[in-house]
Amino acid sequence: MLWNVIRGEQMKLRRSPVWLAFFILPVLPAFMGTFNYLQNIEILKEGWYSLWTQHTLFTCYFFLPATIAVYCSYLFRLEHTNHNWNCVMTLPVSALHIYLAKLIMASAMVVMTQLWVGVLFILSGKMSGLSGPVPPELTEWLVYGAIGGIVICGIQLSISLIIRSFAVPVGIAMAGGILGIGALSKGVGAFYPYTLLSLGMRANSPGGSMACSQVQFMAGSLFYLIISAVIAILWLSNTDVTTE
Amino acid sequence: MKGILLEFYKIRRRKIWVIILVLLGVQCLWGLWAFRDMNEKKLSQGYMQCLYHFTVLNTIMMPMVAAITASKICDLEHKGQTFKLLMTVMPAGKLFDAKFICASMYMVAVGAAQMIFIIVLGKAAGFTEPFPPGYLFYYFVITIFVTVVILSIQQAFSLLFSNQMVSFVIGITGSFAGLFSLFLPRNIQRGILWSYYGVLMPVRMNWDSQTRIADLQYIPVDWSSFWLLTGLFAVIYFTGRRCFIRKER
Repeated sequence: MLWNVIRGEQMKLRRSPVWLAFFILPVLPAFMGTFNYLQNIEILKEGWYSLWTQHTLFTCYFFLPATIAVYCSYLFRLEHTNHNWNCVMTLPVSALHIYLAKLIMASAMVVMTQLWVGVLFILSGKMSGLSGPVPPELTEWLVYGAIGGIVICGIQLSISLIIRSFAVPVGIAMAGGILGIGALSKGVGAFYPYTLLSLGMRANSPGGSMACSQVQFMAGSLFYLIISAVIAILWLSNTDVTTE
Repeated sequence: MKGILLEFYKIRRRKIWVIILVLLGVQCLWGLWAFRDMNEKKLSQGYMQCLYHFTVLNTIMMPMVAAITASKICDLEHKGQTFKLLMTVMPAGKLFDAKFICASMYMVAVGAAQMIFIIVLGKAAGFTEPFPPGYLFYYFVITIFVTVVILSIQQAFSLLFSNQMVSFVIGITGSFAGLFSLFLPRNIQRGILWSYYGVLMPVRMNWDSQTRIADLQYIPVDWSSFWLLTGLFAVIYFTGRRCFIRKER
């Protein structure tokens, strides 16, 4: 059944250029970050690692959470409009499957974005004439970044389910991302969902280890994923739908 | 005037101010965080520090505030499919103007709230720098002006596309480009609409790489950039308005 729901989600998104946002967004820091790196090459002396910071710092803190929020808002907008909740809730599909299908769709987009970020990073480094091999940690940064991004997907999907507005969840993600800087500086990044992305991608310390242990990171990620899924399922199961 | 009042009437229960207030609160929290431990030197440049930090914050957040406000005000017409109905009682251009003025009022309120926060922070933290009313007023004016120009582009896209994702992607991308351009040469900054918070900011940071000391100083108004932005505003507003009038509904 889950596969059928996922196929339904794919059909809903088939003609929508939503992927374009995730394609464009990493291009901007790749281009401008590389330019900035080349302008300040005498200060930024750590080669590939300095370039990685330029590519990912602002993206992880502010803009990727907001873009994920836009995507999640869009995934639920189709249900929130044109009385579609009446149709969805009468289908023989469980609330868990409705939520999971959307989470899988959003997560797939995050994974593809991470791959795209990796490709752009390697291309930028090669074009900038960086000597030395590509950092071996790159795969780890991208994988952990994807996990952090999926957590944000889970949270934002729950918010977009409860708040029917398209814009408000985006504002919440933006505020969440900015407040995350405070959480990171206090050393509680692993306990705050919006910082998991920047923690995982080592946005501000690519050369070193993560600011928290891997167990803490995974435990935090699992906790927020489960909590957001439970909230969404309870909401879908117990709250009467509102249509407009 | 009736059109503007009608816009406020339509959004009276949409609680637009809530999310704006949340984002403003985050901005103020950031301000409090940045100014929690100020030494004597920082206190002697307190207002300059505020104007500098808030300008950077505005580059990140105000485009999103504009995008959210424009989307909330325009999306209700898409959801209710009310454009055809509205066009029978008022011209499309007037509807565009009314929505723009209504949304701009929120931007003015945000700018005023920021200015009040800076004044209160200055008194509470005990800034030793003499109170600069002229520069604060200038900051207030340019914050609103740049945001309103960004609002005009956001409103145009929010009205032209029923899929609000389009306008948000433009808002996020613009905000991102604006933030990055703060680190780029001034001529590049002037080519990016979202970077004008930085271009027109009344304070400049002088970074001495030898001593590694950053110093702030007031700079004169960059009138050429101001007039360039005014020209951009006219082009964006009237192009957006024209596209909206000509759009098939």
